[in-house]
Amino acid sequence: MSGEILDQAGGARRGGSLRGAGPLRRGDAPTDLGLTEVPTTRDGGADTMRPGALRGAARGRNLDGLAHTLFLRLSPVIAALVLLTQVAIAWVNYGDQIRIEGERAQMMADMTARALSRPDWTASYGPSLQALGLDPTFRFAVLRDGTGSVVARLGEEPRGRNFERVQVSAEIAGGAGDRPAGSLTLVLSAEGLRANAEKQFVMVLGASLVLILAFALALRLAVRRHVLAPLDRLLTAMGRVERKDWAVVDLAGSRRPSREIADISAAFNRMVEGLKSGDEARHLLAELERTHGQLAEANGLVMESLGYARRIQQAVLPGPDALRHSGLDLAVLWEPLHVVGGDYFWVEEIDGVTIVVVADCTGHGVPGAFLTLIVATALDRILHDRGLREPDAILGALDEAVRGRLRQAADEAGGSDDGLDCGVCVVDRSAGTLHFAGAGLALTVLSGDAVTRIKGRRHGLGYRLTGREEVIAEKVLPLDGTETVFLMTDGVSDQMGGASRRLLGHRGVAEILLRHRNLPLAGQVAALERDLAAHRGSEPRRDDMALVAFRPVRT
Amino acid sequence: MDRIQIPATSRSPLVDFDFPAGRLVLRGESYPEDAAAFYGPLLQALRGHLDEGDGPLTVDVALSYFNSSSAKALMNLFMPLEDAAGEGRDVTVRWLYAEGDDTIAEAGEDFAADFSHARFEMVQETAA
Repeated sequence: MSGEILDQAGGARRGGSLRGAGPLRRGDAPTDLGLTEVPTTRDGGADTMRPGALRGAARGRNLDGLAHTLFLRLSPVIAALVLLTQVAIAWVNYGDQIRIEGERAQMMADMTARALSRPDWTASYGPSLQALGLDPTFRFAVLRDGTGSVVARLGEEPRGRNFERVQVSAEIAGGAGDRPAGSLTLVLSAEGLRANAEKQFVMVLGASLVLILAFALALRLAVRRHVLAPLDRLLTAMGRVERKDWAVVDLAGSRRPSREIADISAAFNRMVEGLKSGDEARHLLAELERTHGQLAEANGLVMESLGYARRIQQAVLPGPDALRHSGLDLAVLWEPLHVVGGDYFWVEEIDGVTIVVVADCTGHGVPGAFLTLIVATALDRILHDRGLREPDAILGALDEAVRGRLRQAADEAGGSDDGLDCGVCVVDRSAGTLHFAGAGLALTVLSGDAVTRIKGRRHGLGYRLTGREEVIAEKVLPLDGTETVFLMTDGVSDQMGGASRRLLGHRGVAEILLRHRNLPLAGQVAALERDLAAHRGSEPRRDDMALVAFRPVRT
Repeated sequence: MDRIQIPATSRSPLVDFDFPAGRLVLRGESYPEDAAAFYGPLLQALRGHLDEGDGPLTVDVALSYFNSSSAKALMNLFMPLEDAAGEGRDVTVRWLYAEGDDTIAEAGEDFAADFSHARFEMVQETAA
């Protein structure tokens, strides 16, 4: 209840005065002050364009007003001029006719007076006076003798305004001495002339009105066609542009705009084109940023997942402890191309011998990594369950295991055609021998200044059988303790680069290894890695890299 | 069999298998993410062509790098060629390698060992 009263009071206060009435809200239309609604800006007057603002403003100043204004301004001037000219002409005309009528009346009077200038005129004036009476404009005539007394009169003596008549007089000659024998006064009516002049005035007025009307119509039509319609089109286009609908104005057609409006429209069209391309660029950029964001997010997810996978793959590789207790001076390089990869190595001392395996599974990245897990599992069975210690036997078993696991038997459908290159070294320090067997992977032995490369079988392990596979052969090398032995995947030697953009090759790798042969093993491997990067230069790596280097230490 | 033309990318070679002319070309580098997907259709087309005609066939392989999957794919391409040559077809494989590129030359020599019926020519290309 009380709230209602307060509201009413507040409303009244706000309505009553603008000053000191508290903030005016948008809804408080102060109609009783006679104010039309003015759009208020709340952001300190920074008048940002709102959609529809332009149209609203244009509607307030009705465009029809242009023709209206032109008509109101021009027509009185033209009307006054036409009227004035016509009235002046009529006035001169009227004056002339009055003058001519006066001259005619004078002539009539003179002729009658001359006809009467006889001695006996006072007796025989009748016919002459009657003749005057025949004139259609005749009003009144009076004859007087020499003494001024009236001899005869004809017609009615006129009364009233004298501009409605023409009055002349003539003397009748023939009196005693020089004195006239009498006089004739003649009055003719000018009413006809006046009516004539009035008629002419009305006609002039009418003609002026028709002229003004025709002028107004022609003006309105021209303005509508060449000014208003083009302006309206321009306004419509502006309204659409406000809503980011990139409309341009058509400058051709029957409703061709006047030159000035055509210029403005052309400028507007250019502006719209500019705005449009800017807006499109902005949209494209926003779209690009959005897509980029999505890509970055997707990439982030993939990289996160790969990072996790790498931790698992690293856990499957021999850990630092296994490497330390291998019985060999040993250094490794394992660098997948894409976080995880198909290169794999195994180092383990079992039963007094050290077994070193390096494998390069087909593909790299995730598919390669899958295959390494199969290899790791298979090697575990081969070395620990089956207790194989001969490199050729180990490779043979691995070949079988992979082919079985990947369903690569000739009669099995849907299996893969993947495999691996693999090299196995079995180092027997007590016997001073190294047993090696390879399938698609070679052994590199650095001894003094000489580099020896012992190739294994050409074909790798796994894959569907083609019937052309060679038998895996084992080689036995005696060791004198000065050798450095390298087992590496082709990713190490397949480094594209150099001035001629060529693969480094195993000869290039051998050169590098020789260059750093006096370094400790870890240093030698690090130097190799540096030199490989130097050879590549700006070229990307092509493959995963794995390398196990070892120096047999005589026990 | 129609001609197969695939432009080279950074990871796959230019392919121009002009079967009507009996001239097949592989040139560039080959380490596609999925070698089987890239070479599978080519192998199928080659097999189809070998089944169809009996005209002479020249295969130019000019790869400056190929990964082990591509090597396997090449081997798969070479096998039916060798088989066709064994059946009396005139097949020439030209292994093109850049002057001084020992790695590729050596790989070519390795492949040469697989051929006994088809001609396998080692062709050294001098830098243009």
